[in-house]
Amino acid sequence: MSDVQTLSAYNKVLALLTLVALVGAVVLIVYRLVKGPESARDLLGSGAIWLAWAVAAVATAGSLIYSEYFHFVPCRLCWFQRIFMYPMSLVLLVGAIRKEMVVKYYALPLSLLGLATSIYHYLVQVFPSLEGSGCDPTNPCSARYVEEFGFISIPFMAGVGFTLITVLLLFYVKAKEE
Amino acid sequence: MNKNLMWIIGGVVGLALIVGLAWAIAGEEPPDETAGFGTPTVTGTNLPAVENPNAGDPAVGMTAPTVVGTDWDGNEVAIEPDGRPKIVVFLAHWCPHCQAEVPVINNWLANGGLPEGVDMYAATIFTNARRPNFPPQTWLQRENWEVPTVMDNAENAIALGFGVMSTPTYIVLDGENKNLGRAAGEIGVGGLNALAAIAASAVEG
Repeated sequence: MSDVQTLSAYNKVLALLTLVALVGAVVLIVYRLVKGPESARDLLGSGAIWLAWAVAAVATAGSLIYSEYFHFVPCRLCWFQRIFMYPMSLVLLVGAIRKEMVVKYYALPLSLLGLATSIYHYLVQVFPSLEGSGCDPTNPCSARYVEEFGFISIPFMAGVGFTLITVLLLFYVKAKEE
Repeated sequence: MNKNLMWIIGGVVGLALIVGLAWAIAGEEPPDETAGFGTPTVTGTNLPAVENPNAGDPAVGMTAPTVVGTDWDGNEVAIEPDGRPKIVVFLAHWCPHCQAEVPVINNWLANGGLPEGVDMYAATIFTNARRPNFPPQTWLQRENWEVPTVMDNAENAIALGFGVMSTPTYIVLDGENKNLGRAAGEIGVGGLNALAAIAASAVEG
């Protein structure tokens, strides 16, 4: 496969994972609304923190592969999202190993700020005039380097990741408190 | 956590990975990564790059390079001192501002915006096979683009020659290829009319 084909395959795999994550987040939210908070906590228990860590780890690895293997230069807004996502891949791992419920209070601000940045970045891609009237040829935030299914771009992927992490953190209760 | 649920989640994620890989590998035609690039010759002195020409172009009065290249069908396109003033727009296929500006230019041309005696040219620059909307000609043909367009090479010789730092960028040239002014970004109909007025002022006779 050529480099472009490898990138195309990689984009598609991440896009499918994004759809899976999006469906997962929606299912969890609906479950919580229908069954109530107690049932929601019982559903995942302490596993929620491991799942949240897995999402953060995949997102971190995914973005590093884009920049280090495919040589995508992160734009300004991509860097902000990295700042919010990368620490979670470590913080959540430590919290999961130590089964510390308090970890969600460290991670939630990161995931919420990351989600807000992803939403803004996605809006910039839809309405490029939000960030000026021209494109910087090196790394414009408004350009869609990835566009799968007509709507899945890199900030969309990140936004879904932040959403799922947020939902999972809200589901998280320490195993011994269940 | 319910172990069955873990298996279900793991299974779905694994299935998505497998389906994605299979779909991607089996369904993709190898793209022609050279499509969209030309082999233009750029002669003369490069104009200085300017971050924001809208704030004042220090290269006004300087002679722009002569460009001779081809469009995607192999037709020769020359931006040269041929005695006719011209407006040249520099476009990048992946740039959403260029994508928004092309239909505006098309409508402006269709409504007779280009003055008598003035020509319009385009150059596709910063072409990149790994960015969206590649190759540029597919996009421009979809937009019914009829402006003579020269394709830049992979070394961005045309972009460097005209000191283009962002897209879209416009330059107005007189009949001797002297720079009468550059503008960057989406300029809309008002901006196009302003550039046309500058170009029209250089029409002789």
